[in-house]
Amino acid sequence: MKRLYYRIDKCLGCRSCEIACAVAHAGEETLFCAIKQKVLPRKKVYFFEGKNFPLSCLHCKEHPCVDACMAGALVYDKEKGLVIHNEERCVGCWICVMVCPYGAIRPDINRKIPVRCDKCKNKDEPACVKACPTTAILWQEEDFLLEVKK
Amino acid sequence: MKQFVIAGNSAAGISAVEAIRTKDKESKIIVISDEDYPSYCRCLISYYLAGEVGEDKLLYRPENFYKDYNIELILNKKVLRVDPKKNRVILEDKTQLNFDYLLIATGASPKFPDIAGIKKRGVFGFRTIKDVKDIEKILPYTKTACVLGGGLIGLKVAYALHRRNIETKIIIKSRQVLSQILDFEAARFVQKKLEENGIEIIFGQDAVEIIGDGDTKAIKLESGKIIGCSLVIVGKGIIPNIDLVKETNIKFNEGIISNEYMQTNIPNIYTAGDVCESFDITLGTYAINALWPVAIEQGKVAGLNMAGESFKYEGSLGMNSLEFFGLAVVSLGMYRIKENDTSFEELKICDEKRNIYKKLILKNNLLVGGILIGDIRNSGLYLRLIKEKVDVSAIKEKLLAENFSYPVIKDLLKKEKEKIYV
Repeated sequence: MKRLYYRIDKCLGCRSCEIACAVAHAGEETLFCAIKQKVLPRKKVYFFEGKNFPLSCLHCKEHPCVDACMAGALVYDKEKGLVIHNEERCVGCWICVMVCPYGAIRPDINRKIPVRCDKCKNKDEPACVKACPTTAILWQEEDFLLEVKK
Repeated sequence: MKQFVIAGNSAAGISAVEAIRTKDKESKIIVISDEDYPSYCRCLISYYLAGEVGEDKLLYRPENFYKDYNIELILNKKVLRVDPKKNRVILEDKTQLNFDYLLIATGASPKFPDIAGIKKRGVFGFRTIKDVKDIEKILPYTKTACVLGGGLIGLKVAYALHRRNIETKIIIKSRQVLSQILDFEAARFVQKKLEENGIEIIFGQDAVEIIGDGDTKAIKLESGKIIGCSLVIVGKGIIPNIDLVKETNIKFNEGIISNEYMQTNIPNIYTAGDVCESFDITLGTYAINALWPVAIEQGKVAGLNMAGESFKYEGSLGMNSLEFFGLAVVSLGMYRIKENDTSFEELKICDEKRNIYKKLILKNNLLVGGILIGDIRNSGLYLRLIKEKVDVSAIKEKLLAENFSYPVIKDLLKKEKEKIYV
Protein backbone atom coordinates (compact mmCIF):
# COMPACT_ATOMS: atom_id res chain seq x y z
CA MET A 1 0.00 0.00 0.00
CA LYS A 2 1.77 3.11 -1.24
CA ARG A 3 1.47 6.50 0.41
CA LEU A 4 2.63 10.04 -0.26
CA TYR A 5 5.59 11.37 1.71
CA TYR A 6 7.31 14.72 1.41
CA ARG A 7 10.93 15.78 1.71
CA ILE A 8 10.59 19.24 3.17
CA ASP A 9 14.21 20.15 2.47
CA LYS A 10 13.62 19.58 -1.24
CA CYS A 11 10.29 21.37 -1.67
CA LEU A 12 10.70 24.75 -3.37
CA GLY A 13 7.05 25.72 -3.09
CA CYS A 14 6.71 25.95 -6.88
CA ARG A 15 3.19 24.51 -6.72
CA SER A 16 3.73 22.30 -9.78
CA CYS A 17 1.99 19.60 -7.75
CA GLU A 18 -1.08 21.77 -7.21
CA ILE A 19 -1.36 22.49 -10.93
CA ALA A 20 -0.79 18.85 -11.87
CA CYS A 21 -3.46 17.83 -9.37
CA ALA A 22 -6.01 20.25 -10.77
CA VAL A 23 -5.23 19.13 -14.32
CA ALA A 24 -5.47 15.46 -13.41
CA HIS A 25 -8.95 16.06 -11.96
CA ALA A 26 -10.26 18.26 -14.77
CA GLY A 27 -12.64 16.75 -17.30
CA GLU A 28 -10.20 16.51 -20.22
CA GLU A 29 -7.08 16.59 -18.08
CA THR A 30 -5.75 19.75 -19.69
CA LEU A 31 -4.65 22.97 -18.03
CA PHE A 32 -7.19 24.88 -20.11
CA CYS A 33 -9.96 22.65 -18.87
CA ALA A 34 -8.80 22.91 -15.25
CA ILE A 35 -8.86 26.71 -15.41
CA LYS A 36 -12.17 26.87 -17.27
CA GLN A 37 -13.86 24.47 -14.85
CA LYS A 38 -12.24 26.19 -11.86
CA VAL A 39 -10.98 22.85 -10.58
CA LEU A 40 -9.68 23.16 -7.04
CA PRO A 41 -6.40 21.26 -6.50
CA ARG A 42 -6.77 18.51 -3.91
CA LYS A 43 -3.30 19.26 -2.70
CA LYS A 44 -1.99 22.49 -1.28
CA VAL A 45 1.49 23.70 -0.42
CA TYR A 46 1.62 25.69 2.80
CA PHE A 47 4.45 28.05 3.62
CA PHE A 48 5.47 28.28 7.25
CA GLU A 49 8.64 29.53 8.94
CA GLY A 50 10.73 29.46 5.79
CA LYS A 51 9.71 25.98 4.72
CA ASN A 52 7.15 24.57 2.33
CA PHE A 53 4.75 21.83 3.36
CA PRO A 54 2.71 20.08 0.69
CA LEU A 55 -0.47 18.59 2.17
CA SER A 56 -3.34 16.46 0.94
CA CYS A 57 -5.65 13.83 2.43
CA LEU A 58 -3.51 11.35 4.35
CA HIS A 59 -6.04 8.52 4.06
CA CYS A 60 -5.59 7.98 7.80
CA LYS A 61 -5.95 4.53 9.31
CA GLU A 62 -8.17 6.11 11.92
CA HIS A 63 -10.42 8.23 9.76
CA PRO A 64 -12.72 10.59 11.65
CA CYS A 65 -14.13 11.85 8.35
CA VAL A 66 -15.45 8.42 7.40
CA ASP A 67 -16.92 7.94 10.88
CA ALA A 68 -18.56 11.36 10.92
CA CYS A 69 -20.02 11.38 7.41
CA MET A 70 -23.75 11.64 7.96
CA ALA A 71 -24.55 10.82 4.35
CA GLY A 72 -22.64 7.54 4.21
CA ALA A 73 -20.63 9.04 1.35
CA LEU A 74 -17.21 8.04 2.67
CA VAL A 75 -15.83 4.52 2.83
CA TYR A 76 -12.39 3.33 3.88
CA ASP A 77 -10.88 0.71 1.61
CA LYS A 78 -8.48 -1.11 3.89
CA GLU A 79 -6.66 -2.99 1.14
CA LYS A 80 -5.96 0.10 -0.92
CA GLY A 81 -5.46 2.35 2.10
CA LEU A 82 -7.85 4.78 0.52
CA VAL A 83 -10.74 6.89 1.78
CA ILE A 84 -13.20 6.72 -1.08
CA HIS A 85 -15.51 9.69 -1.56
CA ASN A 86 -18.78 8.85 -3.28
CA GLU A 87 -19.67 12.24 -4.75
CA GLU A 88 -23.12 10.98 -5.75
CA ARG A 89 -24.08 10.55 -2.11
CA CYS A 90 -22.30 13.64 -0.77
CA VAL A 91 -24.59 16.53 0.17
CA GLY A 92 -21.86 19.05 0.99
CA CYS A 93 -22.59 19.33 4.72
CA TRP A 94 -18.88 20.00 5.51
CA ILE A 95 -18.75 17.58 8.45
CA CYS A 96 -15.63 15.94 7.00
CA VAL A 97 -13.93 19.32 6.74
CA MET A 98 -14.87 20.03 10.36
CA VAL A 99 -13.35 16.81 11.71
CA CYS A 100 -10.22 16.41 9.55
CA PRO A 101 -7.28 16.51 11.99
CA TYR A 102 -4.95 17.76 9.25
CA GLY A 103 -7.14 20.34 7.54
CA ALA A 104 -6.52 18.30 4.41
CA ILE A 105 -10.05 18.22 3.02
CA ARG A 106 -10.78 21.38 1.07
CA PRO A 107 -14.27 22.80 0.81
CA ASP A 108 -15.13 23.69 -2.79
CA ILE A 109 -17.84 26.15 -1.85
CA ASN A 110 -18.85 26.88 -5.46
CA ARG A 111 -19.46 23.24 -6.31
CA LYS A 112 -20.77 22.60 -2.79
CA ILE A 113 -18.55 19.58 -2.38
CA PRO A 114 -15.41 18.81 -0.39
CA VAL A 115 -12.38 17.82 -2.46
CA ARG A 116 -9.70 15.46 -1.28
CA CYS A 117 -6.77 13.49 -2.64
CA ASP A 118 -7.80 10.21 -4.31
CA LYS A 119 -4.18 9.13 -4.91
CA CYS A 120 -5.08 9.46 -8.62
CA LYS A 121 -6.74 6.10 -8.21
CA ASN A 122 -6.75 5.01 -11.84
CA LYS A 123 -3.13 5.81 -12.51
CA ASP A 124 0.05 3.99 -11.58
CA GLU A 125 1.43 7.06 -9.83
CA PRO A 126 -0.27 10.24 -8.53
CA ALA A 127 0.06 13.26 -10.83
CA CYS A 128 1.73 15.37 -8.11
CA VAL A 129 4.58 12.87 -7.80
CA LYS A 130 5.23 12.97 -11.54
CA ALA A 131 5.06 16.75 -11.64
CA CYS A 132 7.46 17.51 -8.79
CA PRO A 133 10.70 18.86 -10.36
CA THR A 134 12.82 18.21 -7.26
CA THR A 135 11.50 14.77 -6.27
CA ALA A 136 10.27 16.23 -3.00
CA ILE A 137 7.12 14.11 -3.25
CA LEU A 138 7.70 10.43 -2.65
CA TRP A 139 5.32 7.60 -3.53
CA GLN A 140 6.39 4.82 -1.24
CA GLU A 141 5.30 1.72 0.60
CA GLU A 142 4.51 2.28 4.27
CA ASP A 143 7.65 0.61 5.64
CA PHE A 144 9.65 3.27 3.83
CA LEU A 145 9.48 5.36 7.04
CA LEU A 146 11.30 2.63 8.96
CA GLU A 147 14.12 2.72 6.45
CA VAL A 148 14.35 6.48 6.78
CA LYS A 149 14.77 6.11 10.52
CA LYS A 150 17.68 3.72 10.05
CA MET B 1 -21.21 -17.02 22.89
CA LYS B 2 -22.85 -13.90 24.22
CA GLN B 3 -26.07 -12.14 23.35
CA PHE B 4 -25.90 -8.42 22.61
CA VAL B 5 -29.11 -6.43 22.48
CA ILE B 6 -28.97 -3.01 20.85
CA ALA B 7 -32.01 -0.81 21.48
CA GLY B 8 -31.79 1.67 18.62
CA ASN B 9 -30.88 1.37 14.97
CA SER B 10 -29.44 4.77 14.11
CA ALA B 11 -25.95 6.29 14.35
CA ALA B 12 -24.98 5.05 17.82
CA GLY B 13 -26.54 1.60 17.41
CA ILE B 14 -24.97 0.88 14.03
CA SER B 15 -21.60 2.24 15.10
CA ALA B 16 -21.70 -0.02 18.18
CA VAL B 17 -22.60 -3.07 16.10
CA GLU B 18 -19.72 -2.43 13.72
CA ALA B 19 -17.36 -2.04 16.67
CA ILE B 20 -18.57 -5.25 18.31
CA ARG B 21 -18.03 -7.16 15.08
CA THR B 22 -14.41 -6.01 14.84
CA LYS B 23 -13.84 -7.99 18.06
CA ASP B 24 -16.50 -10.67 18.05
CA LYS B 25 -17.78 -12.30 14.88
CA GLU B 26 -19.74 -15.06 16.58
CA SER B 27 -22.02 -13.75 19.29
CA LYS B 28 -25.63 -13.03 18.62
CA ILE B 29 -26.58 -9.39 18.06
CA ILE B 30 -30.20 -8.24 18.07
CA VAL B 31 -30.97 -4.69 16.97
CA ILE B 32 -34.39 -3.24 17.78
CA SER B 33 -35.94 -0.16 16.20
CA ASP B 34 -39.33 1.46 16.66
CA GLU B 35 -39.12 2.71 13.09
CA ASP B 36 -40.04 0.88 9.93
CA TYR B 37 -36.78 1.33 8.03
CA PRO B 38 -33.31 -0.13 8.07
CA SER B 39 -30.75 2.37 9.37
CA TYR B 40 -30.88 5.60 7.41
CA CYS B 41 -29.12 8.94 7.32
CA ARG B 42 -31.33 10.84 9.74
CA CYS B 43 -29.57 14.13 9.08
CA LEU B 44 -30.49 13.89 5.40
CA ILE B 45 -34.25 13.96 5.87
CA SER B 46 -34.36 17.71 5.31
CA TYR B 47 -32.52 17.18 2.00
CA TYR B 48 -35.07 14.47 1.22
CA LEU B 49 -37.94 16.87 1.95
CA ALA B 50 -36.21 19.52 -0.18
CA GLY B 51 -36.13 17.04 -3.07
CA GLU B 52 -32.34 17.15 -3.23
CA VAL B 53 -31.79 13.54 -2.13
CA GLY B 54 -33.85 10.55 -3.21
CA GLU B 55 -35.14 7.92 -0.80
CA ASP B 56 -32.62 5.39 -2.14
CA LYS B 57 -29.74 7.58 -0.96
CA LEU B 58 -31.08 7.78 2.60
CA LEU B 59 -29.97 4.25 3.40
CA TYR B 60 -26.98 4.56 5.77
CA ARG B 61 -25.55 1.13 5.11
CA PRO B 62 -25.87 -1.21 2.10
CA GLU B 63 -29.02 -3.33 1.88
CA ASN B 64 -27.23 -6.54 2.86
CA PHE B 65 -25.60 -4.95 5.92
CA TYR B 66 -27.61 -6.83 8.55
CA LYS B 67 -27.06 -10.14 6.80
CA ASP B 68 -23.35 -9.54 6.30
CA TYR B 69 -22.91 -8.59 9.95
CA ASN B 70 -25.08 -11.46 11.10
CA ILE B 71 -27.55 -9.25 12.92
CA GLU B 72 -31.14 -10.00 13.79
CA LEU B 73 -33.09 -6.82 13.07
CA ILE B 74 -36.44 -6.21 14.75
CA LEU B 75 -38.30 -3.29 13.20
CA ASN B 76 -41.39 -1.39 14.24
CA LYS B 77 -41.19 -2.34 17.89
CA LYS B 78 -40.47 -0.14 20.83
CA VAL B 79 -38.51 -1.39 23.83
CA LEU B 80 -40.95 -0.72 26.65
CA ARG B 81 -38.86 -1.58 29.64
CA VAL B 82 -35.43 -2.73 30.73
CA ASP B 83 -35.23 -5.27 33.52
CA PRO B 84 -31.63 -5.03 34.76
CA LYS B 85 -32.15 -7.63 37.48
CA LYS B 86 -33.17 -10.34 35.04
CA ASN B 87 -31.00 -9.05 32.19
CA ARG B 88 -33.83 -8.72 29.75
CA VAL B 89 -35.78 -6.16 27.79
CA ILE B 90 -39.53 -6.19 27.23
CA LEU B 91 -40.87 -5.02 23.90
CA GLU B 92 -44.24 -3.37 23.35
CA ASP B 93 -45.73 -6.62 22.05
CA LYS B 94 -44.64 -8.27 25.34
CA THR B 95 -41.75 -10.13 23.70
CA GLN B 96 -38.93 -10.62 26.15
CA LEU B 97 -35.32 -10.71 25.05
CA ASN B 98 -32.45 -11.74 27.26
CA PHE B 99 -29.10 -10.06 27.03
CA ASP B 100 -25.59 -10.42 28.32
CA TYR B 101 -24.88 -6.87 27.24
CA LEU B 102 -27.39 -4.16 26.42
CA LEU B 103 -26.86 -0.88 24.60
CA ILE B 104 -29.51 1.78 25.09
CA ALA B 105 -29.27 3.95 22.00
CA THR B 106 -32.93 4.87 21.71
CA GLY B 107 -32.27 8.44 20.60
CA ALA B 108 -34.61 11.31 21.30
CA SER B 109 -37.98 12.69 20.25
CA PRO B 110 -39.07 16.19 19.28
CA LYS B 111 -40.24 18.32 22.17
CA PHE B 112 -43.70 19.76 21.54
CA PRO B 113 -44.74 22.94 23.34
CA ASP B 114 -47.75 22.65 25.61
CA ILE B 115 -50.10 24.96 23.71
CA ALA B 116 -53.70 24.68 22.58
CA GLY B 117 -54.17 22.79 19.34
CA ILE B 118 -50.72 21.23 19.23
CA LYS B 119 -52.31 17.83 18.44
CA LYS B 120 -54.11 19.10 15.35
CA ARG B 121 -53.51 17.54 11.96
CA GLY B 122 -50.79 19.44 10.15
CA VAL B 123 -48.49 19.83 13.15
CA PHE B 124 -45.30 17.77 12.94
CA GLY B 125 -41.98 17.21 14.58
CA PHE B 126 -39.05 16.59 12.26
CA ARG B 127 -37.04 13.54 13.12
CA THR B 128 -37.97 10.55 10.98
CA ILE B 129 -38.63 9.47 7.40
CA LYS B 130 -42.23 9.02 8.50
CA ASP B 131 -42.39 12.69 9.49
CA VAL B 132 -41.26 13.63 5.98
CA LYS B 133 -43.77 11.29 4.35
CA ASP B 134 -46.59 12.69 6.47
CA ILE B 135 -45.56 16.26 5.67
CA GLU B 136 -45.31 15.29 2.01
CA LYS B 137 -48.99 14.27 2.00
CA ILE B 138 -50.23 17.72 2.91
CA LEU B 139 -47.72 19.72 0.86
CA PRO B 140 -49.97 19.79 -2.23
CA TYR B 141 -52.54 21.72 -0.20
CA THR B 142 -50.02 23.93 1.58
CA LYS B 143 -49.31 27.49 0.58
CA THR B 144 -47.81 28.73 3.83
CA ALA B 145 -45.91 26.87 6.53
CA CYS B 146 -44.76 28.04 9.96
CA VAL B 147 -41.68 26.62 11.60
CA LEU B 148 -41.51 26.97 15.37
CA GLY B 149 -37.94 27.37 16.59
CA GLY B 150 -34.80 28.77 15.00
CA GLY B 151 -32.41 25.96 15.82
CA LEU B 152 -30.70 23.64 13.39
CA ILE B 153 -33.80 21.56 12.73
CA GLY B 154 -36.03 24.60 12.31
CA LEU B 155 -33.72 26.24 9.81
CA LYS B 156 -33.11 23.05 7.84
CA VAL B 157 -36.84 22.40 7.55
CA ALA B 158 -37.47 26.00 6.55
CA TYR B 159 -34.82 25.71 3.86
CA ALA B 160 -36.35 22.48 2.58
CA LEU B 161 -39.89 23.87 2.46
CA HIS B 162 -38.63 26.97 0.71
CA ARG B 163 -37.05 24.73 -1.90
CA ARG B 164 -40.46 23.14 -2.38
CA ASN B 165 -41.91 26.60 -3.09
CA ILE B 166 -43.82 26.82 0.15
CA GLU B 167 -44.01 30.27 1.71
CA THR B 168 -42.14 29.70 4.98
CA LYS B 169 -42.05 31.72 8.17
CA ILE B 170 -39.83 30.90 11.13
CA ILE B 171 -41.11 31.88 14.57
CA ILE B 172 -38.30 32.31 17.11
CA LYS B 173 -38.67 33.16 20.77
CA SER B 174 -35.16 34.57 21.20
CA ARG B 175 -33.66 37.44 19.24
CA GLN B 176 -31.42 35.35 17.02
CA VAL B 177 -31.30 32.19 14.92
CA LEU B 178 -29.22 29.18 16.07
CA SER B 179 -28.89 30.47 19.63
CA GLN B 180 -27.59 27.07 20.77
CA ILE B 181 -24.56 27.13 18.46
CA LEU B 182 -23.86 30.74 17.42
CA ASP B 183 -23.39 34.11 19.08
CA PHE B 184 -25.60 37.03 18.10
CA GLU B 185 -23.12 38.53 15.66
CA ALA B 186 -22.55 35.25 13.81
CA ALA B 187 -26.26 34.51 13.74
CA ARG B 188 -26.84 37.78 11.85
CA PHE B 189 -24.89 36.39 8.89
CA VAL B 190 -27.12 33.32 8.71
CA GLN B 191 -30.27 35.36 9.26
CA LYS B 192 -29.33 37.73 6.44
CA LYS B 193 -28.74 34.81 4.09
CA LEU B 194 -32.10 33.24 4.87
CA GLU B 195 -33.99 36.53 4.58
CA GLU B 196 -32.26 37.45 1.31
CA ASN B 197 -33.52 34.18 -0.06
CA GLY B 198 -37.11 34.80 0.89
CA ILE B 199 -37.52 33.07 4.24
CA GLU B 200 -39.33 35.29 6.73
CA ILE B 201 -38.17 35.21 10.34
CA ILE B 202 -40.24 36.56 13.23
CA PHE B 203 -38.19 37.13 16.39
CA GLY B 204 -39.21 37.50 20.02
CA GLN B 205 -42.43 35.56 19.59
CA ASP B 206 -43.78 32.18 20.56
CA ALA B 207 -46.82 30.47 19.12
CA VAL B 208 -49.55 30.33 21.77
CA GLU B 209 -52.22 28.45 19.86
CA ILE B 210 -52.71 26.33 16.77
CA ILE B 211 -56.05 27.30 15.28
CA GLY B 212 -58.25 25.08 13.13
CA ASP B 213 -61.08 22.65 13.08
CA GLY B 214 -59.17 19.36 13.23
CA ASP B 215 -56.87 20.53 10.47
CA THR B 216 -54.39 23.33 11.09
CA LYS B 217 -55.59 26.62 9.65
CA ALA B 218 -53.46 29.20 11.43
CA ILE B 219 -51.23 29.90 14.38
CA LYS B 220 -51.62 32.62 16.95
CA LEU B 221 -48.56 34.39 18.32
CA GLU B 222 -48.02 35.95 21.77
CA SER B 223 -48.60 39.37 20.25
CA GLY B 224 -52.07 38.24 19.18
CA LYS B 225 -51.07 38.18 15.53
CA ILE B 226 -52.61 35.34 13.56
CA ILE B 227 -50.76 33.75 10.66
CA GLY B 228 -52.69 31.55 8.24
CA CYS B 229 -50.92 28.26 7.53
CA SER B 230 -51.85 24.64 6.99
CA LEU B 231 -48.51 23.21 8.06
CA VAL B 232 -46.64 23.74 11.35
CA ILE B 233 -43.28 22.13 12.04
CA VAL B 234 -41.94 22.13 15.55
CA GLY B 235 -38.20 22.44 16.06
CA LYS B 236 -38.10 23.33 19.74
CA GLY B 237 -35.50 20.86 20.90
CA ILE B 238 -35.60 17.21 21.81
CA ILE B 239 -36.30 14.92 24.75
CA PRO B 240 -34.14 11.81 25.18
CA ASN B 241 -36.15 8.59 24.93
CA ILE B 242 -35.55 7.34 28.46
CA ASP B 243 -38.98 5.93 29.34
CA LEU B 244 -37.61 2.39 29.19
CA VAL B 245 -35.34 2.98 32.20
CA LYS B 246 -37.62 5.18 34.30
CA GLU B 247 -38.73 2.38 36.59
CA THR B 248 -35.28 0.84 36.99
CA ASN B 249 -32.21 1.68 39.05
CA ILE B 250 -30.38 2.87 35.94
CA LYS B 251 -29.33 6.43 36.66
CA PHE B 252 -30.64 9.22 34.50
CA ASN B 253 -30.91 12.92 34.61
CA GLU B 254 -32.31 14.47 31.44
CA GLY B 255 -30.59 11.66 29.59
CA ILE B 256 -29.10 8.37 30.78
CA ILE B 257 -25.82 8.98 32.59
CA SER B 258 -22.77 7.29 31.12
CA ASN B 259 -19.24 6.98 32.42
CA GLU B 260 -16.09 7.26 30.30
CA TYR B 261 -16.63 3.73 28.98
CA MET B 262 -20.17 4.65 27.87
CA GLN B 263 -21.40 2.38 30.62
CA THR B 264 -24.41 3.15 32.82
CA ASN B 265 -24.28 2.48 36.55
CA ILE B 266 -25.21 -1.13 35.68
CA PRO B 267 -22.00 -2.75 34.40
CA ASN B 268 -23.47 -4.73 31.49
CA ILE B 269 -25.75 -1.93 30.30
CA TYR B 270 -24.27 0.75 28.07
CA THR B 271 -25.69 3.88 26.50
CA ALA B 272 -24.74 6.10 23.55
CA GLY B 273 -26.10 8.78 21.26
CA ASP B 274 -28.87 11.32 21.77
CA VAL B 275 -30.32 9.43 24.73
CA CYS B 276 -27.22 9.72 26.87
CA GLU B 277 -25.47 12.31 28.96
CA SER B 278 -21.72 12.13 28.74
CA PHE B 279 -18.83 14.28 29.86
CA ASP B 280 -18.48 17.40 27.72
CA ILE B 281 -14.81 18.34 27.41
CA THR B 282 -15.40 22.03 26.74
CA LEU B 283 -18.12 22.57 29.34
CA GLY B 284 -16.47 20.37 31.97
CA THR B 285 -19.86 18.97 32.93
CA TYR B 286 -22.21 16.22 31.81
CA ALA B 287 -24.26 17.17 28.78
CA ILE B 288 -26.32 15.78 25.95
CA ASN B 289 -24.68 16.51 22.63
CA ALA B 290 -27.33 15.15 20.33
CA LEU B 291 -25.23 15.12 17.19
CA TRP B 292 -24.56 12.52 14.53
CA PRO B 293 -20.74 12.41 14.81
CA VAL B 294 -20.94 12.32 18.61
CA ALA B 295 -23.37 9.38 18.45
CA ILE B 296 -20.97 7.57 16.13
CA GLU B 297 -18.02 8.11 18.48
CA GLN B 298 -20.00 7.04 21.52
CA GLY B 299 -21.48 4.00 19.80
CA LYS B 300 -18.03 2.88 18.78
CA VAL B 301 -16.67 3.19 22.33
CA ALA B 302 -19.70 1.38 23.77
CA GLY B 303 -19.43 -1.40 21.20
CA LEU B 304 -15.73 -1.99 21.78
CA ASN B 305 -16.23 -2.12 25.54
CA MET B 306 -19.26 -4.40 25.30
CA ALA B 307 -17.05 -6.76 23.30
CA GLY B 308 -14.49 -6.86 26.10
CA GLU B 309 -12.18 -3.93 25.43
CA SER B 310 -11.43 -1.26 27.98
CA PHE B 311 -11.55 1.79 25.77
CA LYS B 312 -11.95 5.25 27.26
CA TYR B 313 -14.07 7.92 25.59
CA GLU B 314 -12.29 11.26 25.46
CA GLY B 315 -15.59 13.07 26.00
CA SER B 316 -18.02 14.82 23.71
CA LEU B 317 -18.36 18.39 22.61
CA GLY B 318 -20.83 20.37 20.60
CA MET B 319 -19.79 20.46 16.94
CA ASN B 320 -21.92 21.50 14.02
CA SER B 321 -21.30 22.11 10.36
CA LEU B 322 -24.03 23.48 8.15
CA GLU B 323 -24.70 25.29 4.96
CA PHE B 324 -27.46 27.62 3.88
CA PHE B 325 -27.66 29.05 0.36
CA GLY B 326 -23.90 28.81 -0.09
CA LEU B 327 -22.98 30.13 3.37
CA ALA B 328 -20.89 27.56 5.24
CA VAL B 329 -20.99 27.55 9.04
CA VAL B 330 -19.00 25.61 11.63
CA SER B 331 -19.48 25.86 15.39
CA LEU B 332 -17.22 24.07 17.86
CA GLY B 333 -17.47 23.71 21.62
CA MET B 334 -17.98 26.95 23.48
CA TYR B 335 -19.37 29.60 21.17
CA ARG B 336 -20.26 32.42 23.51
CA ILE B 337 -18.87 33.70 26.78
CA LYS B 338 -20.72 35.47 29.53
CA GLU B 339 -20.33 39.22 29.47
CA ASN B 340 -17.56 40.49 31.74
CA ASP B 341 -16.09 37.03 32.23
CA THR B 342 -12.39 37.82 32.01
CA SER B 343 -11.20 34.24 32.35
CA PHE B 344 -11.76 33.79 28.62
CA GLU B 345 -10.01 35.37 25.68
CA GLU B 346 -11.62 36.03 22.33
CA LEU B 347 -9.94 36.26 18.93
CA LYS B 348 -12.16 37.58 16.19
CA ILE B 349 -12.40 38.58 12.55
CA CYS B 350 -15.62 40.09 11.23
CA ASP B 351 -15.71 40.99 7.53
CA GLU B 352 -19.25 41.74 6.45
CA LYS B 353 -18.29 42.56 2.87
CA ARG B 354 -16.78 39.13 2.31
CA ASN B 355 -19.37 37.45 4.50
CA ILE B 356 -16.69 36.07 6.77
CA TYR B 357 -16.84 35.81 10.53
CA LYS B 358 -14.36 33.87 12.64
CA LYS B 359 -14.17 33.76 16.38
CA LEU B 360 -12.10 31.59 18.68
CA ILE B 361 -12.48 31.33 22.45
CA LEU B 362 -9.48 30.52 24.65
CA LYS B 363 -9.12 29.81 28.31
CA ASN B 364 -5.69 29.59 29.96
CA ASN B 365 -4.13 29.42 26.49
CA LEU B 366 -6.25 26.43 25.52
CA LEU B 367 -8.76 26.65 22.71
CA VAL B 368 -12.23 25.82 24.03
CA GLY B 369 -14.44 26.73 21.11
CA GLY B 370 -15.12 28.83 18.08
CA ILE B 371 -17.35 29.85 15.21
CA LEU B 372 -16.41 29.97 11.54
CA ILE B 373 -18.69 31.51 8.95
CA GLY B 374 -18.03 31.90 5.24
CA ASP B 375 -14.55 30.42 5.45
CA ILE B 376 -14.44 27.02 7.12
CA ARG B 377 -11.10 25.86 5.74
CA ASN B 378 -8.98 24.08 8.32
CA SER B 379 -11.80 23.98 10.85
CA GLY B 380 -10.71 20.43 11.73
CA LEU B 381 -7.45 21.83 13.06
CA TYR B 382 -9.32 23.94 15.61
CA LEU B 383 -11.31 20.89 16.64
CA ARG B 384 -8.07 18.99 17.09
CA LEU B 385 -6.54 21.76 19.20
CA ILE B 386 -9.65 21.71 21.41
CA LYS B 387 -9.74 17.93 21.76
CA GLU B 388 -6.03 17.48 22.36
CA LYS B 389 -5.91 20.44 24.77
CA VAL B 390 -2.92 21.99 23.06
CA ASP B 391 -1.32 25.08 24.60
CA VAL B 392 -1.61 27.63 21.80
CA SER B 393 0.17 30.55 23.44
CA ALA B 394 3.01 30.34 20.91
CA ILE B 395 0.72 30.56 17.87
CA LYS B 396 -2.08 32.75 19.17
CA GLU B 397 -1.67 35.47 16.55
CA LYS B 398 -1.40 32.87 13.80
CA LEU B 399 -4.65 31.07 14.61
CA LEU B 400 -6.80 33.35 12.48
CA ALA B 401 -4.12 34.32 9.95
CA GLU B 402 -4.68 33.62 6.27
CA ASN B 403 -1.93 30.96 6.14
CA PHE B 404 -3.13 29.02 9.21
CA SER B 405 -2.67 25.36 8.35
CA TYR B 406 -1.42 22.05 9.66
CA PRO B 407 2.31 23.00 9.60
CA VAL B 408 1.53 25.83 12.06
CA ILE B 409 0.29 23.42 14.72
CA LYS B 410 2.35 20.38 13.76
CA ASP B 411 5.10 20.74 16.34
CA LEU B 412 2.71 21.56 19.19
CA LEU B 413 0.74 18.33 18.92
CA LYS B 414 1.35 15.68 21.50
CA LYS B 415 0.75 12.76 19.20
CA GLU B 416 1.82 12.49 15.62
CA LYS B 417 -0.78 10.17 14.20
CA GLU B 418 0.37 9.87 10.63
CA LYS B 419 3.86 10.89 9.64
CA ILE B 420 4.21 12.33 6.13
CA TYR B 421 7.13 14.75 6.32
CA VAL B 422 10.66 13.34 6.15
